[in-house]
Amino acid sequence: MVIGAFLQVWGSAAVRPVLSEFVAASTLGLVIRVTYSRRVRRRASSPTSRPQTVGEGCGETDPGFLPERGRIASMAKRTTILKVSGLRRAFGPNTIFDKFSLEVRTGEAIALTGRNGAGKSTLLRCLVGADRPDDGSVQVCGNPMSEASPEIRRDVATVIDDLDFFPDLSVVEHLDLLARAHGIADPDDVVDEVLEEVQLVPQSGQLPGTLSSGQRRRLALATAFVRPRKLLILDEPEQRLDTEGVAWLAQRLKSERQRGLAIVFASHEPELVETVATRVVQLGAPRG
Amino acid sequence: MSSLEAGADDFAYQQPPEPRALTPASPRELKRLIKDWRSGRATRNVLQAMSDAYVVVFGAAMIGAMVVNVILKAQRTIAQCTSVSCLSARAVLPWAAFAATVAMALAASRLFGPVLASAAEGFWLLDAPISRTKLLRSRLVGAVLAAFLGGAVVGALISALTGSGLIEVLVWAGATALSAAASVAFAAAQQGVERHVLTRVAAYVFGLLGLGALLSVVGVAAGWFNLSLSDNVGIELGVIMMVASALVLLVSAVLAARRLSQIRRARLLSGGALVSGISGAFFALDIGLARDIVVERRAIERGHVHPKRGKGLGLEALIWREWQRLWRFPQPLLVLAGTIVVPYAADALGMSTLTPVFAALALFGAMIPLLGGLRVLTRTGGLARCLPFSLARIKLASIAVPAILAGAWAALTSAAYLGFGDGAVDRTVPEAALMATAAAAGGLLAAVRWTQAKGVDFGAPMVASQAGAFPPGLVTNLFRGFDVCLLTTAPMLLGFSPFWSLAIAGIAAMILLNSMDAETLRARQAEQQKQLEAQKKQRAEAATAAKQRKR
Repeated sequence: MVIGAFLQVWGSAAVRPVLSEFVAASTLGLVIRVTYSRRVRRRASSPTSRPQTVGEGCGETDPGFLPERGRIASMAKRTTILKVSGLRRAFGPNTIFDKFSLEVRTGEAIALTGRNGAGKSTLLRCLVGADRPDDGSVQVCGNPMSEASPEIRRDVATVIDDLDFFPDLSVVEHLDLLARAHGIADPDDVVDEVLEEVQLVPQSGQLPGTLSSGQRRRLALATAFVRPRKLLILDEPEQRLDTEGVAWLAQRLKSERQRGLAIVFASHEPELVETVATRVVQLGAPRG
Repeated sequence: MSSLEAGADDFAYQQPPEPRALTPASPRELKRLIKDWRSGRATRNVLQAMSDAYVVVFGAAMIGAMVVNVILKAQRTIAQCTSVSCLSARAVLPWAAFAATVAMALAASRLFGPVLASAAEGFWLLDAPISRTKLLRSRLVGAVLAAFLGGAVVGALISALTGSGLIEVLVWAGATALSAAASVAFAAAQQGVERHVLTRVAAYVFGLLGLGALLSVVGVAAGWFNLSLSDNVGIELGVIMMVASALVLLVSAVLAARRLSQIRRARLLSGGALVSGISGAFFALDIGLARDIVVERRAIERGHVHPKRGKGLGLEALIWREWQRLWRFPQPLLVLAGTIVVPYAADALGMSTLTPVFAALALFGAMIPLLGGLRVLTRTGGLARCLPFSLARIKLASIAVPAILAGAWAALTSAAYLGFGDGAVDRTVPEAALMATAAAAGGLLAAVRWTQAKGVDFGAPMVASQAGAFPPGLVTNLFRGFDVCLLTTAPMLLGFSPFWSLAIAGIAAMILLNSMDAETLRARQAEQQKQLEAQKKQRAEAATAAKQRKR
């Protein structure tokens, strides 16, 4: 009777997907037949052999934004990727921002600038769902922002300060894992390309703990470039990068924007803002 | 003399006076100076501090009384263990404690140094033109003394718990203390010549010896073989160990002291940084953070690996990576294999009723290192955000490999519940298998709970206490995991069917593996609340407008 009740609970509609995943996971890939994998395999066998990343709420346009060389998205019509309405965040009596609204379409790059403490990072944390605003709404492709939503995680690539790494997985293995998790069937080319771009090829076998702060930053950026994405959110991506690195980043983000990606980033680097941004949003009162 | 010449004289280069050769301070003087600064800033003396910390003193006294009570009870219980096999089995336990203590002392020494220095000492003192040996000697002595005291406590406690007499307790306490101290001194001597292989090998050898001793407890109790130990063999063996350990301690301490000046500054500071990080984590009672620091340190020691290509897509890729990570650092598997002995030993020692509890607790400890992936994916959320799955599915994928291992562990420990020791409870095979499964589920889920514990939120409302205000999580964090172990095994402990334990484990699994979904639910609830308020506002506005139109 107890087993029956137990199985009934576990077999209920609410927990069945989780249970099926667990059962599938437990077989260590030998008999994995999870829906996700099937979907991914179907995609992998499609003519493009690449996963599509378009959400249902993003309109009819297929940005086709994939981490591959030279593929320019055909942008018939610019669709809204990110919509922020009346956002408010306060810590006690200190209001960081209020009634903040923003709309970001494909191929747009918004630079958030402002002095230290103006609320750039807090705003970005609210946009990625790492922090909860007091008021207002954030929508990605028409869906309300929820950090736990797999669709949002699939569409939004973020580089903010809370990125963590497996201490016992090497640089290249992190990128391989992310690419595979996002359904890229044969990720070697993409991983190699991104590794070369971020100049981490010599460090590809190193464990993250041995990387310098600049190299860790490059690895964090690589995690965003190695996977499919529709929106890129970056918090001061130029941090800890050398001059050459900042120049590379500016060109890379510009090229991403031109290929149809929507970008929101906070920065103190004028060169980066000038090269990448299509719009600049100044937060907080200017100094002096 | 022209003005130009006069000016030239004015600007002529003057040889600076030769600097006086200063006598550098001696290490003793520097230490006294630092001590003076420290004591000069103290606002309370030791007695005042102790009177302030009366709660801690009272607590320590209470725990001490409890330990004494447990020892006395064990001594009374031992009186009932009269058969030769039972007594022989219990006589071997101090040997197991001895070997395990040496293994732990060696492992800890290799991890921390054992000779170490803080960052401040590294910056201000180690660069000074003074003898490094004199500076570090107190550190070496401190580490050896700490090991001696720790070993004495462990040796005395285990020996007393197994019902030994006073002389035997003293002999085993001395032997374990000296051997632990000798291990630390040996590791320090190795540290002086930058060699760690011998320390590592010795740690593994003593670990295996401890496991072997524990296995012999099981074997003797089960009647597989007989050690036929005489009454005095424990004391004789202990004395031999004492003498041997004292010799090793003497030689190693001399070598270590002579090599102190050769230890690189970086090695000294890394041990100090590790202690500082861990002590910070322990100060906040964040044991998970302390473990993270140690894991990170081990990974940094390894530094570089031969990258392996991943397999599969989606969640499958995550599971394969977990498998590969396990084979890259397989030491936790040895610990897991070692814990298989625990339920057998518990049953063999006549603690048949408590076997599921001990088994679950042992598996809980052994599973934590295997859940490193889950830890990384849940501690900040940054990496999980990069993966296109819900957190519940990520968690399931992360625990897939440990769950398989826990299943195998359950299968291998099933026989322990059949009852083979003196006075053990005899059970049927299905019942034993169910008990093993329930205990394994409890251990696994306890480790999952421990692993995904968040750090204490010091911003949360505090609880007032005699010892001052503290956040509620500070105390509950200490019991995380243990609570699941006890909750799942409680029905078996009370004599109910193991099905109840399995049902509790199922509920615990649903709560633990869907915790993030609870967060999503809260977010949804907040969103719905917002929409509801907006609708109310709209209705109120519409009603006001309608009233105005009527007027």
